[in-house]
Amino acid sequence: MRSLRREPGVLLALLAVVVLVGAFIVYPQVRVILTPGDSYGEFFSGGTWRNSLLHSLEVMALSTASAVTLGFVYAYAMVYSDMRWKPFFRLIGILPLLSPPFVVAASYVILFGPRGLITYNVFGQTISIFGLGGIWGVQTIAFFPFAYQLIADVLSRSDARIEQAARNLGAGSWRVFRTVTLPLSRPGLGAAILTTAIYVLEDFGNPALIGGTFTVLPTQAYGLISGFGDLPGAAAVSTILLALALVLYFAKIRLDGPRSFVTVTGRASSMPRPPVAPAISWACFAACMLLAGIIALVYGSLVVSALTVAFPQNTALTFGNFEYITSGANGTALQNTLVYGLAAALLSSLLALVAGWLVERGRWTGRRALDLLLIMPAAIPGLFFGIGYALAFNEPWLDWLDRGVLIIISMIFWNIPVGYQAAVAGLRQIDRSLDEAATSLGASSLRGFRDVLVPMLGGSLRVGFVTTFVRAVTTLSVVIFLFTPSSTVATIRIFQLVGDLNWGRATAFTVADIGLAIVALGAVALLARGRIALGGARA
Amino acid sequence: MQDSQRGYDRRTFLKLAGATAAIAACGGATPAASAAPSAAAATSAAAATKAPVSGTLSVYSALNESTNNEFFKAFNAAYPNVKVNVLPLAAAGELQTRIRTEKASPKSDVFIGGSSEFHDPLGKEGLLEQYNSPNAKDIDAKFKDASGYWVGWYTGIFGFISNNDRLSKELGGKKPATWDDLLDPSWKGKLILPDPVKTGGGYIFIATQIFRFNRDEAKAMDYMKRLHANVAQYIPTSPGALTLIDQGQFVGCPNWAHDILTEKGKNNPVDLNVPADTGFEVGAISIIKGTKSLDAAKALVDWSLTKEAGDLNVKLSNRGSTRADVAPAPGSPKLSDVKLVNYDRQWATDNKDRILKLWQTTVGI
Amino acid sequence: MPDIHLRLERVTKRFGETAAVDDVSFDVPRGSFATLLGPSGCGKTTTLRMIAGFYDPDRGDILLGGRRINDLPAHRRGTAMVFQDYALFPHMTVRDNVAYGLRVAGVPTAERERRVNETLEFVGLGKLGERWPNQLSGGQQQRVAVGRALVLRPEILLLDEPLSNLDAKLRVQLRWELRALQQQLGMTFVYVTHDQDEALSLSDWIAVMNAGKVEQAGTPWDIYYHPRTSFLADFVGAVNLVPGTVSELRDGGAVVSFGERSLTVRVPAGLALASGAAVRLCVRPESLVLAARGAPGDGPALPGSVARKAFLGDLMRYWVTVDGREWLVDQPDPGAGTPFDGDVLVRVRPERVHLIAE
Repeated sequence: MRSLRREPGVLLALLAVVVLVGAFIVYPQVRVILTPGDSYGEFFSGGTWRNSLLHSLEVMALSTASAVTLGFVYAYAMVYSDMRWKPFFRLIGILPLLSPPFVVAASYVILFGPRGLITYNVFGQTISIFGLGGIWGVQTIAFFPFAYQLIADVLSRSDARIEQAARNLGAGSWRVFRTVTLPLSRPGLGAAILTTAIYVLEDFGNPALIGGTFTVLPTQAYGLISGFGDLPGAAAVSTILLALALVLYFAKIRLDGPRSFVTVTGRASSMPRPPVAPAISWACFAACMLLAGIIALVYGSLVVSALTVAFPQNTALTFGNFEYITSGANGTALQNTLVYGLAAALLSSLLALVAGWLVERGRWTGRRALDLLLIMPAAIPGLFFGIGYALAFNEPWLDWLDRGVLIIISMIFWNIPVGYQAAVAGLRQIDRSLDEAATSLGASSLRGFRDVLVPMLGGSLRVGFVTTFVRAVTTLSVVIFLFTPSSTVATIRIFQLVGDLNWGRATAFTVADIGLAIVALGAVALLARGRIALGGARA
Repeated sequence: MQDSQRGYDRRTFLKLAGATAAIAACGGATPAASAAPSAAAATSAAAATKAPVSGTLSVYSALNESTNNEFFKAFNAAYPNVKVNVLPLAAAGELQTRIRTEKASPKSDVFIGGSSEFHDPLGKEGLLEQYNSPNAKDIDAKFKDASGYWVGWYTGIFGFISNNDRLSKELGGKKPATWDDLLDPSWKGKLILPDPVKTGGGYIFIATQIFRFNRDEAKAMDYMKRLHANVAQYIPTSPGALTLIDQGQFVGCPNWAHDILTEKGKNNPVDLNVPADTGFEVGAISIIKGTKSLDAAKALVDWSLTKEAGDLNVKLSNRGSTRADVAPAPGSPKLSDVKLVNYDRQWATDNKDRILKLWQTTVGI
Repeated sequence: MPDIHLRLERVTKRFGETAAVDDVSFDVPRGSFATLLGPSGCGKTTTLRMIAGFYDPDRGDILLGGRRINDLPAHRRGTAMVFQDYALFPHMTVRDNVAYGLRVAGVPTAERERRVNETLEFVGLGKLGERWPNQLSGGQQQRVAVGRALVLRPEILLLDEPLSNLDAKLRVQLRWELRALQQQLGMTFVYVTHDQDEALSLSDWIAVMNAGKVEQAGTPWDIYYHPRTSFLADFVGAVNLVPGTVSELRDGGAVVSFGERSLTVRVPAGLALASGAAVRLCVRPESLVLAARGAPGDGPALPGSVARKAFLGDLMRYWVTVDGREWLVDQPDPGAGTPFDGDVLVRVRPERVHLIAE
């Protein structure tokens, strides 16, 4: 990818991405940041944010560490070990991502609360799930799938030959892991840590329900709006979150370094990975089973709740909840959820791929800036993303813009960081000689991207697609300021039902939402298998 | 509205209530009848003088899910030519913010539901239309905005929910007759409270204590501090706290009487009682400035202030009405029967920030 | 006048402070097998990549068929490259890999298939069209890489050390195949390697590079027998470089004294020498003849003793100490006689000695 002026196609693509990023990431956020105006000083001198900031940092450190570790173990187990039942675990690995707000957290309370079904009835313990401990536990489970996805993608492309070579030189499994596998998976690991940390920072739903008085920045912001109607104050909190994310981002760049992580070269190898000791495979199996057990319990209780009148006080069986949610407006909500989710996922993952390619393979000034901008949305709490869009696109001359479309656009850009990071990590593993080969055979950069790189980035595409879809169908905060009755989605309905304390119906809705999402993902996976060759992952 | 500045005076209210009741007793069904004919007269007058009210209304409703459908269906029966698009979001704070962000090109016509604390600032920011509905004359000045930007049409009383089973087992079935009863050590770890920072209800609880101690903030904060020792958790949403009591995870919680009744009505093992010196809220309705369906919007305001609408809301949500002639929900005390504090709404709104910060420092959060 | 296909004029490329390619100029005639030879870091690969268009020269011009191509994007230059690590597309079969360039060029299906099949046969992969790259051996992968480039009938084929990842036997075998291919097609090849055997055996023309500059360019014969610098003499083939001084000049010849001895050698054309100038005698080991002390024969002979010897199969290499200095002497067909040991005579043929100025 040499001089841009020689390749108008690439220049065009770059301009398009820059314009899109400017219009849909930068502009709305600028509107939000400018909102407090003078009251910034007031807010900051008030000092209420200090505690929240401290708590946020605590939670971020704890939850990120555990989620990434868990994610790594899971990824290792899935990609490397010979553990059994991998398809089952693949599903489990995605389930926590599908957590529409409130209901799942509420399940944790039902199971593990002071009178929790498991903690009290089974183990006789009265633990307090509320507060830091509870948030830590729930977030670890809620976020390990992000880390797992990113790391698994990178691990699947690791070069088996290098590991075999290390084994040949006498390194034991652990040593190979520590000195070869781990360092080579740094791009994915770095991306995983950064993404997870940022998502933990901006997590609202879990701390809202389980945090109790342990306030973190997003819940403080929500409280400012919900309890006080204080938009400037809330916007100020959002700015703090953005600043934190910036810090994390720069830390990551320092840690990454300019080293090469290339593992996919044009020199193909049919070498299988060195075998993993059976003991390790069994250990992986046990760890994953334990995790799966907890997750199954939580989601299982959702299903039970949906089928009963008032779980756990009243366990009379009923189908009334499910009947209710398929009627009228609810049907529209479910349909919208699916359509918006799929559209956003497809567009976001593709855009992420193109953007990742432009940044990773490009040699133009301003690359770093674009890189930062494409990761930033992850740091913006959904609430603010939504407010930004509401402010930015509410001008009279934009009245023709269908709200549904606006919701889709907001989803695309709010979720682009994960797909983008996956694309960049993936590209860093692919040797440039493959790009050059395509060029030397007459393909322009864009053509080479399409024919050679994209097929090899199937994994990254999948990560972007799945994550965007899953977040799109489970977010409440982004859409809460944008939806209209005709463009309402499942999460809004759940919110309304929960507000009414209609847990039975809310859970039925949640279960339907999750069920549809799984079906949709499954269908896409089947379709994609035929089309996108998985390149190195074939090995 | 001078009344809100003077503060709520219970005696004045009782006098008015008594007077209305007397008139009602005298006239039998007359007040109700006179309310209905006046509403009907208004509509027929409107009908007589101009075409029946028509248009499309975009309504931002903070009313419960279970209330919305029936409520607007009934409105449509009275105004068949008005098409209503309801945006239901039972979170008045979010709706208020939404209205603010849509300033440049408002997408709504009417903001209905949610306590007046959310409507008032919008009025002051110039985001609402002034309208004095003819039906507002039936409403005490207490419940109306003097500048006419919003009008209160329902009320909510602050009560106490308790889990029957655990209350009888662990606290001898003793419900708190006063808020001070909650300071009893037997409540330690069994009590929860809606988070004052995040919920309207939680804040109203604190403000209630301040008014209970005759505006002695130090005493009120002292109470809150001692109460804090018994509070197991502050819950981020008022309704969320109720579910925890339903499930028996905790034993009791101060919360909205109407919501407690609704829970009880679902056959949950809980009960309501209203301790002395409690607070209340006023639910409002307002018209968004710049609405293109002003007539229809006014019609909705008018209709919400009718007895028919009041009765319906009571039936659907167990709330109270600002109309004296609307009976309270079964199991719910009348506003007049409850020992209320001298709740100065304006003062409470103006000092919210400061009070909450004071509370946070006192309690050490 | 040979038809110049590729010309580089004063091409320079800097990376940071260092000039990887420093003021390089050369011409490559059409249809020739041209090689850029040099140790690692000499700039040969950088030069190749500039011809391909992957790097932009900081100064200088690159002309293809008389046309300046500096501003042409890489994919439109009419050059095709074969990479050191093959760079096969792992998600495409052999056939698809080979067909790729044709597909990009929009060649109609029937013709594309025909050409692909032709090329597969040509490079000896006829039956392997449906295999995946990871199912092929190194040599097979390299053939795919070559075929993939050839099928496009590029103006120039660029090869970047294509054989260095193969084992010795395969390397030699493929070497001949490549040369045969090139001659058969009459295509211009520009080949980069650090292996002087390859360079010598394959090329019509070699440019030897060192530290970014072209030290000498010419035919293999020229480079081998008439190197202009010690570096060149030493890099290409084994050599004895004996330092000496010019004691006398006589028409076309010079008397060079080294130590106690002297030798009269021819002065290469274009080399200006003055009496007393420091020179080196460049003597190829295979041009020397070993004889036993006292054996009859004429011509200059240096007495020495065998320090060690190595049997290389087709020749015996001797390290002979003469006047305290080791001389490398290669004797062909060792089996024809008995190996030498101890004191020997090293016969020098003055006409085979090349003079290098210091």
